[in-house]
Amino acid sequence: MGQLQLWLSALEMGCFFGLLALAYYLVLVGAGFFNFAIGPYAMVGGLCTSYLVLYEEMNVWAAAAVAITAAAALAVVTELVVVRPVQRRSGGGELPALVAVAAVLFAIQQLAGYLFGYTTLPGQNVLTFEPVSVGDTVVQPSTLVLLAFTVVAFAGLAVWIRSTRTGRLLRAVGDSTHAARLLGLPVNRVRLIAFVLSGLLAGITGLLFAPKAGVSSLSGLSWALSGFLAMVVGGTGSVWAPLFGGLLLGAVEVFVPYYFGGQSHVYGLLIVALLFFALKPSGLFVRRVRA
Amino acid sequence: MKRIPGSFSLLGGVIGAVLILLWVGADGYKQTLVTTTATYALIALGMYVPYLMAGSLSMAYGAYAGIGGYAVGLISSKSGLPLVVAWIVGPIVAAAVAVLLGLATRRLSGFFLAAVTLLFGMAFTAWLVDAEGISGGSAGLGSLRKLNLFGWQPDHYDVVVGSTVVVCVIAFLLDRLRMSPWGVIVRTMRDAPRAVEAAGVRVPVMNLVSLAVGAAIAAVGGGLFTYSAGSVTPDTFTLNLVFLAIFMPLIGGSATPWGAVLGAVIAVELTLNFPAVETSGTLILALGVLVILLVAPQGVIGYASRLTKLVGGRRG
Amino acid sequence: MAETLLVGSGLTKRYGGVTALQDVSFSLTAGEVLGLVGPNGAGKTTLVDLISGAQPATEGSLTLRGQRLAGPASRRAKAGLARTFQYPQLALELTVAENLLLGRVARRHGTVWQMIAGAFRGALRPYDKADTLAVAAIAEELGLDRLDRPAGDLSLGEQRLVEVGRALGQDPLVLLLDEPFAGSDAAGVTGISEVVRTVQRRGHAVILVDHNVDLVAGLVDRIMLLDRGQSVFDGSPRECLDSPQMQQVYFGVTETPDDAIEEVDRVGS
Ligand SMILES: Nc1ncnc2c1ncn2[C@@H]1O[C@H](COP(=O)(O)OP(=O)(O)OP(=O)(O)O)[C@@H](O)[C@H]1O
Ligand SMILES: [Mg+2]
Repeated sequence: MGQLQLWLSALEMGCFFGLLALAYYLVLVGAGFFNFAIGPYAMVGGLCTSYLVLYEEMNVWAAAAVAITAAAALAVVTELVVVRPVQRRSGGGELPALVAVAAVLFAIQQLAGYLFGYTTLPGQNVLTFEPVSVGDTVVQPSTLVLLAFTVVAFAGLAVWIRSTRTGRLLRAVGDSTHAARLLGLPVNRVRLIAFVLSGLLAGITGLLFAPKAGVSSLSGLSWALSGFLAMVVGGTGSVWAPLFGGLLLGAVEVFVPYYFGGQSHVYGLLIVALLFFALKPSGLFVRRVRA
Repeated sequence: MKRIPGSFSLLGGVIGAVLILLWVGADGYKQTLVTTTATYALIALGMYVPYLMAGSLSMAYGAYAGIGGYAVGLISSKSGLPLVVAWIVGPIVAAAVAVLLGLATRRLSGFFLAAVTLLFGMAFTAWLVDAEGISGGSAGLGSLRKLNLFGWQPDHYDVVVGSTVVVCVIAFLLDRLRMSPWGVIVRTMRDAPRAVEAAGVRVPVMNLVSLAVGAAIAAVGGGLFTYSAGSVTPDTFTLNLVFLAIFMPLIGGSATPWGAVLGAVIAVELTLNFPAVETSGTLILALGVLVILLVAPQGVIGYASRLTKLVGGRRG
Repeated sequence: MAETLLVGSGLTKRYGGVTALQDVSFSLTAGEVLGLVGPNGAGKTTLVDLISGAQPATEGSLTLRGQRLAGPASRRAKAGLARTFQYPQLALELTVAENLLLGRVARRHGTVWQMIAGAFRGALRPYDKADTLAVAAIAEELGLDRLDRPAGDLSLGEQRLVEVGRALGQDPLVLLLDEPFAGSDAAGVTGISEVVRTVQRRGHAVILVDHNVDLVAGLVDRIMLLDRGQSVFDGSPRECLDSPQMQQVYFGVTETPDDAIEEVDRVGS
């Protein structure tokens, strides 16, 4: 593999992690909550599409639409049926919400396995065109689509958060749910929008990334972890922070095994996680909070 | 008559164990189910201490069980020591690893702790695959020696009975530990750590001790499983198992360690035993956990004890 | 002259830009009850936190019986401090008896080895007769009954009683009580006053925090008045009530004790 190929691979992984981290970011900012079920949403986006195309002979666009809708629907169910009631009952306690989200993660994983089988399916390309050659390196269409979507998603959300009313409310609601409620802001609606957006985003991301290495019902957990780490590494200082976290993690994921071989990327991730949590738990980009 | 604390639950546990053993009889598959249940139960009991008593969710329990399992494999294949030594060395090593991981993550809680400990579990599995010289790589370690306890060589059925006994003993001891001063301190750390610190107990240190106790118990379970299965590989103790172990006390009831045992029985029955639900058993379990979480946070034992209190109250 | 127990000198605490406590010094002799009084935000809780080790001091030092007092709260507890919290810190799912027990048994788990040994001892012998009796005695002194209730079922006043009882179980040299009367009914006030007297009789000392001078005047030997992080008066309750500082600090303060009680009730529930 040439250097360029490696960098490209790191970029692709980085965009994937960054997009997942962006989905985390939305829920974290809007609902003050780490939604680990984002990995499984992405898995459903990828796996459901592949299943419908391969076994039901559906058109890839139709299949993608179904899969993404399913991912968003799962996000809605997570918020309405699980997170909201559990948070209401447990007050500020983190553990019940954590256990609940673990149960959601596990349930989606099992549901997907039951519906779509437990094997790894190849990902489906939504757009097929000739691979582009850069020097002696060939860039696959799926990579280009993923990169393009990354730019669109981040730019779109940045604009949305800055210039729409709901987008601006997101921050206000997440920062101080209690105060926002007292002020009569539509807390529940804003939270729900955050969940829906993150579900859509995760679903599309999983679908676009699936061609790289295939997707199985078990992919969701490691994706959930990678996205979480990318978000923590990046911090919540700006909408773009998750992308930086993702790119850093993508580089670790690609270059560490290249130089150290084997499964060393897992060690790499663990070390990055421990270092960050120990030294800079608030991430690279911290938002200044006015007291 | 003087009442022994925890004896009532123990009685229930022993009756349950005897019923299960009667049901199993000489059926080889059912015997495997029992040792699997015992392993699940021990891992869930190990997690009980830090997770339900101290309130911190560490998910590295696949690794701790694995250490117990590999202790059996290694002592069997690479040393001349009697095999029982594995059940001393394994838990001690697991406890030491838990302390080291606990030190590295001492400032983390909640989601952060869960994420790092999950990663640790994955890294441990990766290491087992990589370190072929020690762990035998992906093939793992097999063809174990037989246990020999002072000349007595237990046959397979003895191992089955022995594993239920071990589970009952550990659940009983943990139940008593929960009620003891130590248990009061650890359980107070969950909601009022400042009070514990102000009373004179260093909370981070106590946390490490509780992690060590939990890891040691899980390692006993890992050793048991490895011995009865005859081999251990990096995939023996999966993340699935860790998730199940989080849910087991919720299913059975988190108020006493026996809830974890009952949860393990239910989980194994659902996921492995019923042929009709074989493929969807885990799904049913996962959905069941969600339902329990939402409508019945006390679990089965919680409801049973409320019922007995209600009945007892009427009578008295 | 009575032995000097606790001495604080030059205690200062800054939270970022906020100076919560500014150069406060005091000393406490054996058998003495010191009232720590001041309006909202005066720095009373901060001083208790600095003494107990819940917060590190920005500047200043403490000695207990001539020995330097420093380090985490647990070490200071072992040296002989016990405290309660303005917002009770109880394990709400544990019973009243278990919450009371904590204070008594904590010192048996002060070192790593004791913690490990405690785990084995606990599994083998969960209950100790002497502990049960001691807890019952403390409950009796405080007027608490039905000890097998979960602490979460108690009213705020009762929760404070449990906290005081837990601290008493530590048999402290210096007992720090942060607004123990807020939310208490008459029985609670009696119970807590009883505890203060008990500690005093043992020749140990108490620091009693409250908003209200009148309420504590009958119970304390000396009053230290805090205002905006500074100690503005230190003397007998009589002198304090007549002092110009007292007039100044409380001049224009409209809050009555009843309001304060209501407020704490609201926050606590
Ligand atoms: N953790 C903290 N971070 C920042 N400022 C703090 C913190 N704790 C206290 N303060 C500030 O320090 C000052 C003193 O607070 P403290 O709680 O000691 O007052 P107090 O006398 O106990 O008041 P009250 O009667 O309301 O309990 C206040 O201005 C408060 O806002
Ligand atoms: Mg205060």
